[in-house]
Parts: sequence; C-alpha cells; structure tokens
Amino acid sequence: MSNKNLKYLTGPFSANNPVIVQILGICSALAVTVQLKPAIVMALSVTAVTAFANLVMSLLRKGLPSRIRIIVQLVVIATLVILVDQVLKAFVYDVSKQLSVYVGLIITNCIVMGRVEAFALGNGPWASFLDGIGNGLGYGLILVIIAFFRELFGAGTLYGFRVIPESWYIAEGGFYANNGLMLFPPMALILCGCIIWVHRSKNKDLQEK
Amino acid sequence: MNKNSNLYIVIYSTVMVVVVATLLAVAALALKSRQDANILNEKKEAILASLSLQGQNYDEVIEAFVVNEKGEKMEGADPIQLLFDLPTAFAENTLPVFQAADGRIVVPVSGVGLWGPMWGYVALEKDMNTISGIVLDHAGETPGLGAEVATRKHQAMYKGKTIFEGEEFVSVTLRKGGAKDPNHEVDAISGGTKTSDGVTAMLKTSLGAYLPLLKVSAVAPCCAECAEATECETNKVANNE
Repeated sequence: MSNKNLKYLTGPFSANNPVIVQILGICSALAVTVQLKPAIVMALSVTAVTAFANLVMSLLRKGLPSRIRIIVQLVVIATLVILVDQVLKAFVYDVSKQLSVYVGLIITNCIVMGRVEAFALGNGPWASFLDGIGNGLGYGLILVIIAFFRELFGAGTLYGFRVIPESWYIAEGGFYANNGLMLFPPMALILCGCIIWVHRSKNKDLQEK
Repeated sequence: MNKNSNLYIVIYSTVMVVVVATLLAVAALALKSRQDANILNEKKEAILASLSLQGQNYDEVIEAFVVNEKGEKMEGADPIQLLFDLPTAFAENTLPVFQAADGRIVVPVSGVGLWGPMWGYVALEKDMNTISGIVLDHAGETPGLGAEVATRKHQAMYKGKTIFEGEEFVSVTLRKGGAKDPNHEVDAISGGTKTSDGVTAMLKTSLGAYLPLLKVSAVAPCCAECAEATECETNKVANNE
C-alpha cells in the first residue's frame, strides 16, 4: 500500500477524526454507547456502509448526472443501510433489537454522505474504499472509547462481563455504587468533550487561535 | 450523450431503481427464514421470561394449546404461529395458551400504544388470579417515555398483582400519579400517558378474552381456603411434580 493510500486509511483515526475533529455523527455516538457490544456492532455497520458507499459512488462518479447526484447518493446509502439492517436481524438479532432505530439512522449519519460528497466523487475506487474504512473505524474508535467508560462506570461490566466485583456494591455490603449518569446521553457528550480536550492538547495544530 | 439531459437522467434513475429493487428483494428473501427463526426464538424466550424460567428449554417446560372464547381446547391451530398475528387471533377467538410444567399459564396480550402495536405475555399463578410475571414489548413507543413499559423495572411492578377482586374481573390498571390500590394498580409511566392507557386497555381486553378458561382452570390456594383436604393433597402432589 502506498504512503498516500495509507494516509487515507489512518488519517481519520486521529488528525482528521470524523467525530472529535470534524464533529460529525455525534447523535449516534451518544445513543448507542451505553454498552460496548452495540457500540462495536454499530461501528462495524457504519464502517461497512461508508466503505461501500464510497466504493460504489466512486465507481459511478464518471457517469453520474450532477443534477441528481445527491439523490443517487441517498439511494446508494439507503440500500446499503437496509442490507446491513437485514443482515443484523438475521445474524445478531439481540444486538439489532438494542440498536433499534439507530441502524436505520445510519442513512442520516453525516459521516457517510460527507465522505461520499467530499471524497468519493473526486477519487478512485480503491482510495475511496480505504477512506471509507478509515472514517468508519475512526468513528468506531471514539464510540468504543466512550462505551468503555460508560459501561465500566455505569454498569460495572465490560462487553457484558462483570469487571467490578458484586461484593463491592453497597447492596452487598460494600462501598461502591454505579454512576447512574453514565447511562444517560449527557454523559456521553461530556466524555466526548473530554476526549476532544485531551486530543487537542496533544495536537497543537488543531487548536483554534 | 449529455449527462444532464432529461432523457439521460430518466434512464439513469430508472436503471438505478430497478437494480436496487432487485438487490433488496433478493436479500430480503434470502434472509427471511433466518430472521423468522430469530423472531420465533424471541417469542419463546419472552414466554419463558414471563415465567422467570430464562435459559430453560422451551420445548421441555412449556405445553402450548389453543382455546376458543368459551375456554374449550381447540384442535388444528398452531399456538406459536398465532403469536405472529395476535390481533387476528383474538378477533377469530383462537386464543393461544402456554402452560408451564408447574401449572402456571402464560397468555399473550395484544393492543395499541401511542404510535403502534404493543404486545406482551402475562404469566398467572395456579390460582389464575395472581400475576407471576409479565413481559411487554412494543413496535415504536417513544424511547425514554412510553417505551419504558418494555423495561424490567416497569414490568417488575406487576408481580403479585391480582386480576380478580373476589369473583369480579378488574384487570390491572396503570395509574397516573402512582398506584393507589396495592392489589390491582401499578404506576403509570410519566410522560407516557397514552402508552400507559394502551397497556391498561390491552390487559383488560386481552385477559378478558381468557376469562372462561381462567375460571375453569383456577386452583384454590392450598390449605386454609381449601374446602376439602383431599383436594389440597392433590394440589400438593401436582406441585411436587
């Protein structure tokens, strides 16, 4: 893989992260991060959709009538999202129930259409595909970080496995209680803000003057 | 050809729609059997959950049958298949019943909330009066408000409530502002009044359809209220099995 292509793939992980730098896809980042498992499934779903939406639109870009460009993008993205939804319902039904409407709402995730419009329409299929994967994973990375803290401190588990021993809890005679605020969306926003804070303090060039 | 001419755009969008439609139709058909199996499994799990028998083998602990509006057993209908279209099942008086090995029964309930259909499973103790557990689900109630009826926290409130006052059927009511009657009322969802009213109506009509069956199958609570010692003994034997 050439250096340029590698940059398409890894750029969105940090310096050009869709969530914490471009501030896209915040809505679903708040909604599906109560536990790690749905966050990971959501991350993979969005990655699949961005990657293939970029690939398909990049292949179509030469014959695409610019007047119906946005409609074609929507049709392609919606088709991919419906396919993902069907696959989740068939293979991981419990997670698909947990994600409920948010799978359908991948259609409205700004990252998907943003990358198609900004990148895939002007670049080749392979570069677009990598850009889609990179952005999907960059989004997923933030989701997983937020979900890690929310599940650990909100429920005392990680990926459904108990991490904080039952005997620590006040109900069992211990000293510890879960933080209920972690289970609510505002805490996801606060965590997201903390990640942006840490990220910008490490990346001086991202700081606005 | 000019890419922005009307003809090109019409042809382009037509071809696109046909391709997409074919693709989606193929995917839907190919995955349908798996999805249906998942839904069927979910219904079985919900029935077990209402009995607090999670993790047990459905086929081993549940005996399912269908009754008519008089509470008589019917032949020919598959109880679990009826769950896929409960409103029709109730309209046609083909009422599925799921009996646990310990004598408790589970009856499905079906109604409407604010935005769409709701359904659930009510498990009744052997006296056919006390609620042993309940599972409620919905198609699209408002998350955080009406959708709270599908949470364990809400459903735990139904346990131990009774649906009869003496001989009279009163069902369980979701009371706005907090339950007042400790036997027949639970707290309604704040911000989910329409959904709560829907649950109240659903329990009343759906459980009401099963009244003849409940009256026939009710087993008097053991000992104190038992008229005859022998009846009590038979109950005890049945319990141990």
